[in-house]
Formats: sequence, structure tokens, C-alpha cells
Amino acid sequence: MSKGAVEQDFFAASEAAVADLQLRRKLENATGRHLDHVAATRAEFPAYEAERDASRRIKEDSIARLDDLLVQLKERLEANGCTVFVAANAAEARKYIVDLARERGARRVVKGKSMATEEIALNPALAEAGCDVVETDLGEYIVQLRGERPSHIITPAIHLSKEDIGLLFNEKLHIPYTSEPTALTAAARERLREVFLAAEMGVTGANFAIAETGTLVLVENEGNGRMSSTLPEIFVAVMGIEKVIPSMADLSHFLEVLARTATGQKLTTYTNFISGPRRAGDADGPREVHVVMLDNGRTTMLADPVLREALYCLRCGACLNVCPIYRRVGGHAYGSTYPGPIGSIVSPSLFGGATATLPFASTLCGACREICPVKIDIPRILLHLRWKETAAKGDGTLPTPKWPRAARRAREGVETFSRMANHPITVRVLGRLAALVMWPFARHGYVRWMPPPFSNWTRVRDFPVPRFRRRRGKSRSPAESKAANNGTQT
Amino acid sequence: MAEFHKLIANLRDALEHPAAEAHNGAAAASPVAVPTTKAARRVELASQFARELQAVGGYFLGTPTPKETVARVLAVAAKLGAHTVAVGAGIFTDPTPIVDALELAGTTVIRNAACADDAARAELRGKLARCDFAVVEADYAIAATGTLAMIATPERPGSLTLLPPVNVILVSAERILPDLATALEAIGPAAIASHRLALVTGPSRTADIEKRIVLGVHGPREIHVAAVWHGDD
Repeated sequence: MSKGAVEQDFFAASEAAVADLQLRRKLENATGRHLDHVAATRAEFPAYEAERDASRRIKEDSIARLDDLLVQLKERLEANGCTVFVAANAAEARKYIVDLARERGARRVVKGKSMATEEIALNPALAEAGCDVVETDLGEYIVQLRGERPSHIITPAIHLSKEDIGLLFNEKLHIPYTSEPTALTAAARERLREVFLAAEMGVTGANFAIAETGTLVLVENEGNGRMSSTLPEIFVAVMGIEKVIPSMADLSHFLEVLARTATGQKLTTYTNFISGPRRAGDADGPREVHVVMLDNGRTTMLADPVLREALYCLRCGACLNVCPIYRRVGGHAYGSTYPGPIGSIVSPSLFGGATATLPFASTLCGACREICPVKIDIPRILLHLRWKETAAKGDGTLPTPKWPRAARRAREGVETFSRMANHPITVRVLGRLAALVMWPFARHGYVRWMPPPFSNWTRVRDFPVPRFRRRRGKSRSPAESKAANNGTQT
Repeated sequence: MAEFHKLIANLRDALEHPAAEAHNGAAAASPVAVPTTKAARRVELASQFARELQAVGGYFLGTPTPKETVARVLAVAAKLGAHTVAVGAGIFTDPTPIVDALELAGTTVIRNAACADDAARAELRGKLARCDFAVVEADYAIAATGTLAMIATPERPGSLTLLPPVNVILVSAERILPDLATALEAIGPAAIASHRLALVTGPSRTADIEKRIVLGVHGPREIHVAAVWHGDD
């Protein structure tokens, strides 16, 4: 197992997270604001659906001929003067970069925002080799100062309020306390500018790699990726092998959907195209460009016809923001570099270990599939992975129920319920009966514990006590009820 | 007035060829490397560009002639109280009058020339990091998103639009293209394979603290753009 995932059980971690009402408020605020931006930007771009379909088609095509495209990309990158290293796993990628830093005597390393380097846990490895590694994306910088891991793909510090960050900067950067985002950002700018100008090595990820031209495309808003790839003498980009696309003409379709979904912008502030090291006479740019192509479990995903689709992911992070589970527990509970719905489908292949249970951390509501810019059918993959995980525990075949009689009884129970539910009078009578029984045990309209077999429900959530409201509504005369409704609406 | 120009531009377009072709087919299929559009269409694209630029927090300096451009740059310098200004080599707009005017006003001007060695590079980097603002010409602009396409060359390095706190960017009005796809096609694969390219859409920004937008994180916090009008053809 790679260091990119922490051994922890989602279900234990999520229980603690869900009880943290402060965290939930922060998450609801930030994700809600994101979804508003996305909805607004999409509404004014009629071609969105067409661009989305085009992006999906290009990804289908690129992943289907990933072998040829990677050969072409490697050739072109080398022709442009880059050094290409193909890493089968996280350890190989880490070793290559650490050795490179050591050989070139680079001790000061700046990182642009990158999920792939989080995936391979590069920072601890570089630190162990004696390098001073500084994250330069503001959100990443904040979580690095806290000694934490990012809790979101796009917004790493989504779990922190501006007051949290004010206290952090006061303690670590020794600036007077302020919770003003502008002042906090200015303090970070000043500090990080010095770091950039002194850095010997820059490391970033890549959003796309164009096979036709041998070009890496880096999409960002702050300028941290541009700084990291322009100022240091040595530049290293770590890209998952699935990032390759055929040509420059394909790129515009992705750029039209990526920012709109990721941040609700039409286009990010910076779209950087890097094809190679600086040329004779150039005033800036790195002397050496190294591209690390990372497999790390992606070939396994490719071999699974259902899971393959997960390789289309652009890492926009939108599925996290719409996910009812993510919005309540946040990213850390997942115990993986990639949290949320997309994390639940890619983590088991990339990290294994405890992340194998992540496909169960979903209600299968389908909101992730709806918002995905390349229409990845995440619920389908979740079910597929659940089936695989369950089957893996048995003899490899579809599991037969452990208790056939219990399974039959459950089925009969559901059938009885559906018959009953078709008779409104029965439902009402039984509901009232249940309310009478539960009323003495209820707190604020909820029962926290029920005897078996109902304890299976109350073990994980409270049960709402049915009320008599409907009867009261009915007993009113039409005029009375209308007046009451008007009263509540205004 | 912008609305009126837009109406006239639309009418002319409609009279000349079917609307659908003008927006989708014609521009994209054009084999001409440097698309030049008629003045009317140019006004329409410039006003769309201005709107989008302002939406992302940039400032639009209008569509001055090369002569008027000098005054616009001086106005920015005066507003900022600038002492040191970096000026990149021009593409269509000769920056010499701007340099002369800035020097006449008592400003120190850093001209960028190709750097022969590490020492020259380090010196230039230090100067760019300390200057008050930089004037540089963009290769293309994208109307639909308010974006500027900057192809880096030895005389126009990428650092010019990265290190200084404020940018004044000139773009030739005929180089404002309708959308991203058209711009990438105009730039072409060959240019991307051999040069660094940056698409810049507004000032550097972040939303990492409670999703609140703050401008000027690592790159410039202010961007002023003039769409230089080289006369109608």
C-alpha cells in the first residue's frame, strides 16, 4: 500500500466527522457557494452540453488508444528536450524525483497544486532526503502549515474557516491576527514570493498532456503552477498516464467544461502550456524539464471494463460538492488523497487497504453522475466495486445470501409493506399506533433507540416519530386551512 | 455607443453571410494564419472582450490608436505613482513612443533583451520582481472569456506577466478572436511545441479561504488592457 492513503475505517471516521457541527456548517457554506457559481456559469453557456459530450467522446477515444498516445507523447516530449520517466508505482516515482533533487543538489523545492504528487506522498520523501518542500497553492500552503492533508481536490482548506486560518497565520507566520481573507492572502503572497525566487526545483502536476505536440497543460488560478514551472532551474511534472489527449484541437472542449464545473469560471486565470526547457537566449524557464508518467494502479483500472470509465476524470472536484455524504463528513474521513464519489471509485485501485470499503460510502443518489463534466457513471461503478469487494471475500463468485431464510423473510416483509402502503387508511392507523407507542420515548420528535429488529435502524440514525399533523389539517374547514397556509407563507 | 456599434456590426454580418456560418464555420475553417476581421466585427468582439475582462476583475483601457495608447499607459503610471516600469518588445505596436514618454516623465524603464547567461537572467528576474508594472503586448485575445494569449519569446518573457504586481497589456484589435477554439487554432500546434504559451484571464486569484475571491495571489493583482486600433482596412 502506498503512503497516499491512511489506514483508517471510513465508517468510524465519518461518525466523528458528522458529529462536528462546525465542520458541517463550513462544508455546507463552501460547497453551496460553489454549486451556485456552477449553475450560473452553465446557464449562460448554451453550448455546455455539446462541449460536455465532445469531452466525453475524446476521453473515450484517448483511453481506448492510451498505448499509442503515450508512445507519441513520450517521443514528442523528448524531441522538445524533456526527460521522460515512466513510473509503475508511487515508490518508483518518489525515488526518481528524490534522486534527481539529490543529484542536482536542489534543497529548496516549491510545489504547485497537484493531486498526483499527493497521491505518491512526495513531500515526506523529499523532506526525508533533506529538502525543504513548500506548497505554494494558498489552500495547500494552509494545510501544510497545519500538518494536515488536503480535504478537497480543488479547495484543500475547505474544512477551515477564515478565523481558523487567521489563528494559524498568527501562530506560524507571526503576523497580527486577522480573519480578513485579503490580508491573509497578502501575507501568504509575501512569504511565498521569497520562497519562489530562491527555489531550485519546482514540482507540479499536469491537467492535460497533448500527444500531438508534446505539451503539458497546467490549469490554475493563483499563478503557483506558472511560478513553479517558470522560475526554478529544474522543473518536474508528475502526470497520471490517463491525462494524455490526442491533439490541441481536442483541448478547447475540455477547457470549456473544466473551469465551469470546477469553480464556476468560464476559464481559469492561467492556462499554462509547457513543451520543454528554455531555449538559448530565453530570459526565464527551467534548464531541465522532467516528466514523470505515473501508472500506480491505472493499468488495473483500464483492464476492468466497468472501472475504465473512472480514468476519464478531469479532477474538477464537482462530484465532491454535490455529494450528500461528502457535504456532511468532509474529505478527511475518506482517508484517501481522493475523497468524495470519485475518490470512492479510484482509491481502491490506487491505494488498496482500508480504501476498499469506500464504495460503500455512498447513497447512490446519482448527483455526481449528473454534474460530472465527462458524464462518468459513478453510481454504476460504485455498485460494481461493491460487488467485487463482496465477491473477493468469498470464492470469487456472486455471493449467495448468508442467511437464506432471513433474506426470504426480508423480501416478504417488503412485499407486505408495499401491499400495506397501497391502503392509505391502514398506513394512517398504523402510523398513529406507532406514534402512540413511541411518544413516551421521543426527544424532540426523534427516537434514539428501538428494540431489535428495529435497532438496526437506530444504531446508525435516529427514527422520526410519526405525527398527527395530517388529521388536524383535514379537520379544518377549507377557509381556515387557507388562512393558516397564507399565514405561514408570508 | 457600444450597443449601437454592436447592432451595426450584427446587421453587416447578417447581410453578408448566413449568421450561423459567421459564428461557427467561417472563422474556424479559415486557412489564414492571422485572421483579420472587418472593422465592424472588430468593434463587436472588442466590446465583448471588454465585458468579459471586467467580469473577471480586469480594467479595459478602450480601443486607442497607437498614439493614444501612449497617453493611456502614462495615465496608469501616474495613477500608480510608478517609478520603475518594464516594457516588453512589441508585436504590432511599437513600444518606443511609450518608452520615450515614460522616460520623459521621469520613470526608469527596463527594456527586455535576450539573456545570454545565468547572471543576466537572475538580474532581470530581480528587476521584474521589483518594478511597479510591466507593459507587454499579447499575441491574441479571446472575446468570449476575456482572455489574453501570451506566447513567450526571449524579448517578451513569461515573467513579464507573472512577477510585476500590475500589468498593462496591449493587444491589436484585429487579434481579438471570438472563442478559445479559434484562438488555439490561430496559435497553432507548431508555436505551442516550440514556445511557452500562457492564456491569462484576469488578475491572479484565489478562492481558497471560505470560497471568497481575493485577487493578486502570486501573479499580478491588476490587469489593464488596451485593444490597440491600427486603423480600418
